[in-house]
Amino acid sequence: MIAAVERSASEIDDLDTLVRLYWPRVFRFALASLRDPDAAGSVAQDCFLKAYRSRERFRGDCSIQAWLMRIAVNLIRDRARNRRLQFWKRASASAVDLEAVNQWIPDGGASPESRVMAKEQLAAVWNAAGGLSERQRTVFLLRFVEDMDLLEIAAATGMKEGTVKLHLFRALHAVRERIGRLE
Amino acid sequence: MSRHLSSRQISQWMIGERTPQQERHVRDCSQCGAELARLEAALALFRGSVRHWSDGQNRAELPPIANISPARRGPRIRPVRWALVAAALLVLAAVPVYRDAQERQRQAEIARADARLLEQVDAEVSRAVPRPMEPLVKLVSWDFSFTGERDENRRDTTPKEEIR
Repeated sequence: MIAAVERSASEIDDLDTLVRLYWPRVFRFALASLRDPDAAGSVAQDCFLKAYRSRERFRGDCSIQAWLMRIAVNLIRDRARNRRLQFWKRASASAVDLEAVNQWIPDGGASPESRVMAKEQLAAVWNAAGGLSERQRTVFLLRFVEDMDLLEIAAATGMKEGTVKLHLFRALHAVRERIGRLE
Repeated sequence: MSRHLSSRQISQWMIGERTPQQERHVRDCSQCGAELARLEAALALFRGSVRHWSDGQNRAELPPIANISPARRGPRIRPVRWALVAAALLVLAAVPVYRDAQERQRQAEIARADARLLEQVDAEVSRAVPRPMEPLVKLVSWDFSFTGERDENRRDTTPKEEIR
């Protein structure tokens, strides 16, 4: 345990390594949360700067990823609050990005029919995620995009494990409802 | 277990909480199996699309460590900030000193003025004849004066005449 904490502390001290290892995850989570590449980049930068400045406070009682995600969650929450007034102004620009994202389907030699179905499913999940509450979306993204387990999500969000589960259930219910409408 | 999975059980399954009974049921029940497979596929597509989008954006803007690093970002900002803080402190420290010096100067001037006034008062008090009347005293050959100098002169001259 002590060795793990020391290793974590040394990883945090090395900003270059920290950024190289965790930037993609933090940026991806911010991008999926805010749906704005510029804002996501800004959040990721602030996240690493904040993490580096407060590295002495990291006690190693959770993973570095959970710690960074916790900082990112708070930054995204603050930014989302500040952006509320600008939401409608930015909505059209974000919609363009989402349109492109929705078109992405992995090449797997699938039939045109299944590709169409996959696109519809993907759009349904994106729409469902967009309609989730802030907390539901956060735990949904951490679980199903970042593959974090419940305890890590609890550490990253400051919620209890039971609360995380509850938000996940509601998020999954919303996603299933959207997909169910496709039939 | 013959009943289909409830909505809650499907959610539990998706986050990895499943019982052996449920696993057996899903193997045997095409309806529950299809429902779970469809949900898993949709979530996998979503994960893939987010990662694809993020990777594309990340390539465009590589991690700007130079912007993040406080060591490299700091020197441009900190000296200016410190200089401003130092200047502000200097001003704050100088104001009482300046005020104190001004106050001391004012007190010294008052003391000097008081001293001059006292000298004037002393001079007026010790004067035999009020200043406005001094010209009259000079005009009149009235050898009566209370000034010590004239008394002495008178005392000096009188005995000499008497000796003659």
